[in-house]
Amino acid sequence: MDAFKSLIIILMSSVLVNNYVLSRFLGICPFLGVSKKLNQAVGMGIAVTLVMVVATAVTWPIQHYILNVFDLGYMQTIVFILVIASLVQLTEMMLKRYIPALHKSLGVYLPLITTNCAVLGVTIDNITEHNFNFVESLVNSLGCGLGFLLAMVLFSGVRSRINDSEIPESFKGLPATLIAASFVSLAFFGFAGVVDKLFA
Amino acid sequence: MKSQIKTVVSLTVICAVVAVLLAVTNYITAPIIKKNEAAQVNGALSVVLPSGEGFEAVDISKYELPETITEVYSEKNGGYVFKMLTSGYGSDFVLMCGIDANGAVVGATCISSNETLGAEKEYGKTLVGATGETIDGVATVSGATRTTDAYKNAVRDALNAKIILGGGSVDLRDETQILADNLNAALPAGEGKFTPVFITEILEGVQEVYKAENGAGYVLKSGENFIATAADGTVVSDVADDVKTAMSDNAKKLISSKLTQIDISGYADMPTQIEEAYKTDSGNYVFHLKAAGFGINGDAWYNPSGEYIKIKVSATKDGKIIACETVSQKETDGIGSACADKKFYSQFNGKEQTNYKEIDAISGATVTTNGYKTAISKVFDAINILKGVS
Amino acid sequence: MNKNSNLSILLKGLLLENPVFVLILGTCPTLATSTTVIGAIGMGLAATAVLICSNVVISLLRNVIPSSARIPCYIVIIAGFVTIVQMFIHAYLPALYDMLGVYLALITVNCIILGRAEMFAGKNTVGKSALDGVGMGLGFTLALLMMATVREVFGAGSFAGIEIPFISNYKIEILTKAPGGFMVYGMMIALVYKLTHGKAPKKSEFSCADCPSAAFCGKTSCTAEKGEEK
Repeated sequence: MDAFKSLIIILMSSVLVNNYVLSRFLGICPFLGVSKKLNQAVGMGIAVTLVMVVATAVTWPIQHYILNVFDLGYMQTIVFILVIASLVQLTEMMLKRYIPALHKSLGVYLPLITTNCAVLGVTIDNITEHNFNFVESLVNSLGCGLGFLLAMVLFSGVRSRINDSEIPESFKGLPATLIAASFVSLAFFGFAGVVDKLFA
Repeated sequence: MKSQIKTVVSLTVICAVVAVLLAVTNYITAPIIKKNEAAQVNGALSVVLPSGEGFEAVDISKYELPETITEVYSEKNGGYVFKMLTSGYGSDFVLMCGIDANGAVVGATCISSNETLGAEKEYGKTLVGATGETIDGVATVSGATRTTDAYKNAVRDALNAKIILGGGSVDLRDETQILADNLNAALPAGEGKFTPVFITEILEGVQEVYKAENGAGYVLKSGENFIATAADGTVVSDVADDVKTAMSDNAKKLISSKLTQIDISGYADMPTQIEEAYKTDSGNYVFHLKAAGFGINGDAWYNPSGEYIKIKVSATKDGKIIACETVSQKETDGIGSACADKKFYSQFNGKEQTNYKEIDAISGATVTTNGYKTAISKVFDAINILKGVS
Repeated sequence: MNKNSNLSILLKGLLLENPVFVLILGTCPTLATSTTVIGAIGMGLAATAVLICSNVVISLLRNVIPSSARIPCYIVIIAGFVTIVQMFIHAYLPALYDMLGVYLALITVNCIILGRAEMFAGKNTVGKSALDGVGMGLGFTLALLMMATVREVFGAGSFAGIEIPFISNYKIEILTKAPGGFMVYGMMIALVYKLTHGKAPKKSEFSCADCPSAAFCGKTSCTAEKGEEK
């Protein structure tokens, strides 16, 4: 039961409190680039969540059963990024072959994820920062992915309002978008402390 | 096909070259990184053990150490640094303490805590110089007894752990466990389940009596000895004959003691603190009292519980307290709640009207202590009223 | 190859094609490590070192690496340099290593580096690539420094850890937190646009020109619908 509680806490804190986009600044490029329309935001969010979980499922064993065993910790970054890149390609091929419908909706976002720092970030974080076990790592990755999805969906709503408003010339486009992101991020500040008291 | 081979070969070659470069860099930097990390750990450890040199982590899984100890570092001169995790008033807190080769505390510091009063921040200084023998004498901080008590216990655990690491052995059992072990040793037939018996008779040389829950018999604590009797009071422990007779008498006296309730409504002057009164066949009295402690008289700022402390007292007709026990209380947790500790209420045993005030008050809980004392004082009044002396 | 063009390669990274404020690349580390001046300079220089090295090596190997496998090759080379820089910082500047944390490893996926490899180093000579690396790296560092100066001075009341008298009594602490990062970044982009009078090509959208994922993606823009493919 306690193990279950701690998993819930990990999940909630990675979705809300330590939201990758809004408080740790990982995955900003797709956050700003692909959040213009709701359906695109959802597609990108799901694709990122999928890749994060799959990447963690592969990189965690690699770190613990290969790199650590042979004392090759310094190969972490290189191995992880290659694994992620291959996984993304593989996932795309699998989707295309077996679930073409899903590939049609997610396929376009997958290639963009290779160099998404949120994916590499979560795989490294699970090992270096948190020292999670396998299940905790998977839950944390799922949470980070869902947090990304949540931020994307919320922000796509905010952006559709920005497009309708009159903005000074210098602020048009990205500056206004970033300032809006600042307010969304501020709203997420309200979650700090919520998770600690979840079971208190 | 040819281009695919070229692709694979070039990627493989690049990977191999990069891997070799990384291995070389790692070979150069790894020793420096390790040295830096060791220096960093040493820096933290030196705070509590400044004279320490060449700290090394000790594998504590090999030893049976107190549970509070989470990490241990040894150093060249025979000292140790312990990291402890304990829980105080509200939450867990992490302590670090350095102990030198002679077994004295050199430094103790609180690394992280969420305690309310902050007493733990400075308390470590008062523990400096303490050894296994003297640490019990270090005073806790009044008003933050629970926090500082936990602190002190954790440091005591560290002192014990130092002895264990040095090859010695330490009794790690706490008081309750020691008592349980003693009772079980005295009367194995009790199957380890005993309840204290409230003493209503004067028993020569007996301080405490325990009854086996399964009815196998009784255990009398006489000084440091635990003497077991059968259910009828005959001594079963292997002791000298005169002790056997004396203890057997004591046990039988207690077993046969009968209480008759006295209707106190007939006595107009009976203090309100007396809720019930009983008389034994031998003429002793037993009172159920309610004491107005912090729960009643406490400052409204601190949300007093509104409940009395319930006390049970037995006394001879000459006004000497035989036994005193706190039955229930809702005083402030961690402060006044100490009135439920045997250490506190057993102080009244053997006291009379002339000297009942000479007890150690509960630190930081004046209202509780005063209320308790007032209730006890009414015992003597009640005995006089019941005897018809005014 | 005259001097003038070399100089312009070096200088364009500083303002007109500043990777952070104009090309909008490397946003993640920009926001994350610009809370303190020290962290910003450390991050900037670490990325510059990786950028110069990877630009030079990729430019050297540009005729050897088959174009079909160029992106994985670039990634391996960049990740290799990142790890080397990471190990040296860990060994000689442990405090900085702790400060930058995971963002140091994430230089690997910093769009600036892969972007420059793809856009410049893969097509130009070693010398030009090195200059481009220096220019872009310093532009990145300069941008981080500007952001960090604003955030640390007004948010924490200090500069590079040294407390500034007066201002430290009126800290706007939110600037050091996540929302402040987005806010200051937005303001900075607007400011640079204003200062350059729109000469710098402001990106209102992410185009694929500098996107390192473009090679995988094959679309004209991230938001392009199917059918608009190149």
